[in-house]
Formats: sequence, C-alpha cells, structure tokens
Amino acid sequence: METSLAQGELVGEMEMDAYRRLFPLRFYERYLLESLRPDTRPLIQCRDTSVALGPVASADGSALAKIGCTTMLAGIKLEVMTPVAESPDDGCIAIEFHMPPICSAIVRPGRPAEVAPVISKQLTDAILSSGMINLKELSLIHGKAAWMAYLDVYCLDSDGSLFDAALLAAVAAFSHLQIPLVSLNDEGRVVTVSAELGEGKSSKEVVNKEKRKLKLTNIPFSLSFVLHKKYILVDPNAEEESIMDSLVTVVLDLSGRLVSLYKPGGQVLAYTSTLKDCVALARNRGKELKKILDDALLDMEEDSS
Amino acid sequence: MGVEAAMAGKAANAPTTYSPSPSQKPARPIFEDVDWVRADGRNFHECRPAFMKTGAANAASGSAYAEFGNTKVIVSVFGPRESKKAMLYSDIGRLNCNVSFTTFAAPTRGQGSDNKDFSSMLHKALEGAIILESFPKTTVDVFALVLESGGSDLPVVVSCASLALADAGIMMYDLVAAVSVSCIRKSLIIDPSSDEESYQDGSLMITCMPSRNEVTQLTLTGEWSTPKIHEAMELCLDACSKLGKLLRTCLRDAASV
Amino acid sequence: MKRFQDLNSNIITIMDMERVDGRSPHQLRPLSCSCNLLHRAHGSARWSQGDTTVLAAVYGPKAGTRKNENPEKASIEVIWKPKTGQIGKLEKEYGMILKRTLQSICLLTIHPNTTTSIIVQVISDDGSLLPCAINAACAALVDAGLPLRHLAVGICCGLTESGFVILDPTKLEEQKLQAFASLVFPNSPISVFSKGPLLVEGEPIEHGLVASVTHGAMPVEDYLNCLERGRLATDKISEILRRMQQRFLDDGRTTEISSTQ
Repeated sequence: METSLAQGELVGEMEMDAYRRLFPLRFYERYLLESLRPDTRPLIQCRDTSVALGPVASADGSALAKIGCTTMLAGIKLEVMTPVAESPDDGCIAIEFHMPPICSAIVRPGRPAEVAPVISKQLTDAILSSGMINLKELSLIHGKAAWMAYLDVYCLDSDGSLFDAALLAAVAAFSHLQIPLVSLNDEGRVVTVSAELGEGKSSKEVVNKEKRKLKLTNIPFSLSFVLHKKYILVDPNAEEESIMDSLVTVVLDLSGRLVSLYKPGGQVLAYTSTLKDCVALARNRGKELKKILDDALLDMEEDSS
Repeated sequence: MGVEAAMAGKAANAPTTYSPSPSQKPARPIFEDVDWVRADGRNFHECRPAFMKTGAANAASGSAYAEFGNTKVIVSVFGPRESKKAMLYSDIGRLNCNVSFTTFAAPTRGQGSDNKDFSSMLHKALEGAIILESFPKTTVDVFALVLESGGSDLPVVVSCASLALADAGIMMYDLVAAVSVSCIRKSLIIDPSSDEESYQDGSLMITCMPSRNEVTQLTLTGEWSTPKIHEAMELCLDACSKLGKLLRTCLRDAASV
Repeated sequence: MKRFQDLNSNIITIMDMERVDGRSPHQLRPLSCSCNLLHRAHGSARWSQGDTTVLAAVYGPKAGTRKNENPEKASIEVIWKPKTGQIGKLEKEYGMILKRTLQSICLLTIHPNTTTSIIVQVISDDGSLLPCAINAACAALVDAGLPLRHLAVGICCGLTESGFVILDPTKLEEQKLQAFASLVFPNSPISVFSKGPLLVEGEPIEHGLVASVTHGAMPVEDYLNCLERGRLATDKISEILRRMQQRFLDDGRTTEISSTQ
C-alpha cells in the first residue's frame, strides 16, 4: 500500500519535471497565476541574503556576499601610484568582475563569459557615479603618492541577479577595507609599517595615521527584476532570467538618488507605472541590505574586541 | 563628468603601481638547530587544522570547499558532458583540469591567470583514480579556484578535487589524498605554510589512494639525500592515510544530513 | 551655472539652455539616413545625428546557430566595430544592449535555427552614440527585409546640473552633464486593422520602454522627466524611419533622407 503510494507520487513528480523542462514558460505562468514562484517565494520576495566580512586574509579588504545560491567574493588590494597632474590629491579605483569556470556550466577556461565585462562596467559606473568613495581619502602625499585600490569580484556560484550580489560584495569589501600604516623610506618609496613600530619609534614618520578606514557616503544598493506580462518578479534566479528575458536593474543610493536604471532590451516594455513600482521595491531593498551590512560590521567589531 | 573622466584616465594612461613592501624584512628564522619552532607553533609533523565541505557551488554537478590553515580553495566538477566538437571518438572518458588563482590570493597582487603547471599536475594526480571507462565519449571538467594561497596549495587542491568528484558521483577507485613535505636544512616539516615554502631546500609531494595504498603522483624538487627521501615518503603516506579518513568522514557527514 | 541658482528661475532657464551649437534644449541635431549602401550585405544603413555617424550592415539569416543559443529561435549576433582601437568594456556593453534590443524587436520564431549578424561600424562619435547605433541597426534590418515586431527608436536625454533636460547631447555636452540616459522606445505602428492607437494594458505601445542605460546619479523624478521628453522626441525619428521605408518601397534604390528642422 505504502509503496504503491510512493510510486504514484514519483510518477507525478517526474511528469511535473518533464513539463517544466518541455514548457518552461507555461510551467511558470501556472505559478504566476497563483502569485507564487516554483521556489515557493511570493513575487516580490528576495532570496536569503548574507554578508561575511574578511574571508580572505591576504587581501586588504574582502567580503563574501550570498543572495540565495549566487555567491560573490570581493577582495581589495591596495597599491601605491603617482597621482596624475590634474588631480594630485586623488587616488584611483580599478574594478574588475570575474566569472571563473567554477561558477557556471557555460563558462569554460580560456573562453570568458560574455556578461563579465558588462558587469565590470556596470560596477564601475555604479560605484564611481554614486560618489560612495571620496577619492581624496585615498591620497597619501600630495602629488607624490596615492592609493590605487584594485577591487576584484569573483563569482563563485552563479544563480541569477549577478550584478546585485556583485555590488553588495563590492560595497561590503570597501567597508571592510583596512588601510595599512605606511611611511616613506629613504629612496622615496612607500613602505608599510607595523602598528607597534609606528607607535614606538618615530624614526620614520607615518604618513596616514588618521586615514585607516574609508568613509562611505551614499552607498549604492541594487535590485534586479524580471518582467513578464504584467508581473514583476523580484531578485530572479538563473532559471527565471533565462525563461523570461526582460531584465531591469535599479540602483539607488541611500539618499534616494537613482544611480542606474538598466534595461538591456527584452520583449516586455516597461511603462512608467512599472518603473515606479520597481524603484519603490528597490528603495525598500536598499534599507534591508543596509541593515544586513551594518549587522555584519557590528559582528566583526564584536569579534575583534 | 566625474565617471567618464575617471574611466578615461584609467584607460588612457593606466598608472604603474607597486605594492608597498614592509619597511623591515622579518629576520630569517633560525633553522640550524634541530628544535626550532614553527611560526604557527605546530610540531614538525603536525598538519594545519583542516575544514572541508562538499556542495559549495550549486551550479556545478559536484563541488567542494577546503580550508587548510590560510589556504582556501574551491573546486567545481562539471559533467560528464559532451566533449569538444574537435575531439575524436574515444572509448574512455576524458578528464579536463584547470587551476586558477584570485588576484588577491597572494601577498602581492597577481594577474589571476590560469596556472598551467598546477592544471597539468592536478590532471596527472586524478587521472589514475578515476574510472574513465564509466563515461565513454564524454568529458569531466575539474575546475579549481584558489581563493587564498597560504602554502601547500596543490595538495589542498588535489584533495579538494577528489571530494568534488565524489560529490558529482564520478566513479573512482578511491579518493585521492595529497600531502607535501618541505625539507629545511636537517628538518622535515609537513604541510608547510607559504613562508616555510619560501625557505625550503627541497619539497616532496605525494598524492595517493589511501585504501588501495597506491600512489598516483609523486613529485620531488630540490636537494635531497636518499634516507631523507625515504623518511619524507613515510611521513607523507602516513599523513595521506589520515587525511583519507577525514575525506571519508566529510562525505559521510554530507550524505547523512 | 550654480551661481545663478539664487536668481529668478527664468534666468537660470535661459542661461542653462544655451547650447554651444545654438540648438534649443529639446531640438535634435540634423538627422540623415541612407540605405542600401553596401552591395554584398543583405541590408545596410548609415545613420547620422549631427557629427555622430554609424554604419550598420545585416548579413543573414544564415543557417545554424552558435553553441549555447536556442536552436528553436533565430539567433542575433552583433559585432561592434569601434572607430579606432580595441574593443573595451564600453563597446562590449553597447554590443550586448544592441543585441538584446534587436532580439526584442525581431520575430525570432519565423526563422528558427538561423543566425543573423549585424555589424555596426562607428564612423564618427560626437555623443549619443548608442541611440544612433540602435537607429542605424534598425534601419539596416528594415533594409534587409527582416520581419520585425515594431521599430525601435533610440534617443539620448541629458540632465544638466540644474536639473533641466536636453536632448541628443554632443560629446562635449555629455561631459558637462550631471547625468544622461540612453533610452529606446518602440515606434507607434500604423496598422490597417486597428483603429486608433494600439493599447497594451491601457497604455499606448509607444509609451513602453525597450531599453535604458544611465550614466551618473540623478533624482528619480528627473529620470521620469527624461522618459517623458525622450518619448515625445522619438516621434520625429520614427517619422524619418517610416519615410525611408516608404521611399525604399517606391523606387528600391539607394535612398537618402535627411531632416534639418
């Protein structure tokens, strides 16, 4: 009796699985009619999101961000550069997004993913145009030396909404960034000084005693949507992105300014009312993400003290 | 506009940058005595604390994460899947390996490019353990990313890869455990950290299938005397069998949850 | 411009709206479009807005799709050729937006398992490059006779420091702007069947947004304002596209149409 029931269930499940593969859109529409998604989320609910600070000790700042299965590792390495003549007090930020072959079945070694450079560009745009980082804070010696912050974001597991997770990881890495104490040596090169040494002997002057952390203002947070007919699906996973092709990404900073509204085509047209809904959802998500980031920072401070 | 200017500035004349080196080189540790102390306080024959977990990346058929001290690696396995179009028909399956590092894995920033040496070494270490006859005409891809390089990177990658293969359900004769030993002057130290590796006179790595007592790969570099090699091999094989048990426990835990 | 902020708002308007080339804020640069220039291509078009000129060529549909593409649909391939130098991130981004935009206007199920290549050659760039490339590609698709759902019309809207919208900015203006948005709208189809405008969920189809890319941060209201302004201006561009199509049907030879408002 029990076994026959179990078999019956199995057959039912297999049929559903086949239906899902053969008619993915119709399968989704059946769920959407009930305002639900196959992963049991309501349409406007994001997946579980978490941030861990400082997973990589060899980087000056690092963070791991997870949105559902999508996992991003961001690391910052600081190097010294000579600032350009036009802006002698400005540091620089170089941002790169990588999709190594471990993250997805479609990326192979030597054949980089098409979207990787596009996301690099989007990240650079969002971080620089939000004005989150004052480049003056990266200055060391006027006209002589400034920090070049290399931010590299690695996608470890790709399951949709890549840009949202990448931006979250990037922002978290900058808030974790610890600028090392440095001084100038006899040859005019910048060298690091260990903390005790800096305090004790004053043979070499420490250049950046007060500038150990970056002050982040107007932090940008992003939320992606998939549009299908009149439905708005928040924080889509990879399956949803591939079945319904109209993706919209809204980036807002904490002061409510629109940093980016990105819609790269797609069959569904976005009307003003839809866009307003998206912006409102992104605003709420920004508050949520800010809290997640603050909690992670608090946890880190408690651990260190 | 600010963004455009910053972008243009970067593209037009990418400034040359350098990593600030420590103001004082740390004094070279004294290795002359027989009983010097390792920087992390370990015994000579003691491995770093290890953490391993399968199922690290959902997009892959199988994956594993391993952390040995500061060395952190993640390995994904894809397949068996269709071989490249250019490949000829083959009765047995193919194994394709790739190892790369993040740009921030080492103390100075790297390029993050593929490591060809490690890729081919990983291939050789795993090839003998996999039952290639079980997936004819197709390819299994093993991709590793070293998140942080803290020494003994390759052995950690190999052990982690065998876990990921098991997670993907690829048929193997046995799991592959790998351990390396550094020789510094008179002392043999197991599972060296990056600092210790930079001072080593010679290095020996064994990858083996512990339950079958078979070695899949043995590499030896640097200056060695025959008795030292024997001693180092014994040390490695013993550690491998212990690591093998640990790998098995990890798989059993994942299956029982 | 900031120092005028205390004065009467009218004065700000006048000062702010003064454009280098003497255009009014919502005036487009002279448009011109010529089709059927390349004989080997299945369709081609050159589109100019002032000093920004883009040449687009369409080859296909050719048999077969690339790996990882869905063979049940026609595949669109965009090759972006910058004026000089190598393809960077910006070109890759533009290429991807162009590809996705064209995918959304083409009827992909008519020619399954084929690939259509669109080659976009930037001839000169003086601002509003992406919208210009979209218009050129669209004209080339029409010239090639590919079945389209509707046309896509691109327009660049700039936002000045004091929050005014200017249309079709030049490169110099783009650099001075607080932010700018490249927007793509569908044009209003004239159908023989339906009377009156085509409605999608109660709104006319041309009010929908196909693609949007923004540079620089701006208040949300200003973005919506840009949308409104951009939408109004696309009528003019749609008209040119339609006239070009008409002229082409009439004589079937190389045609050139321009508008100098």
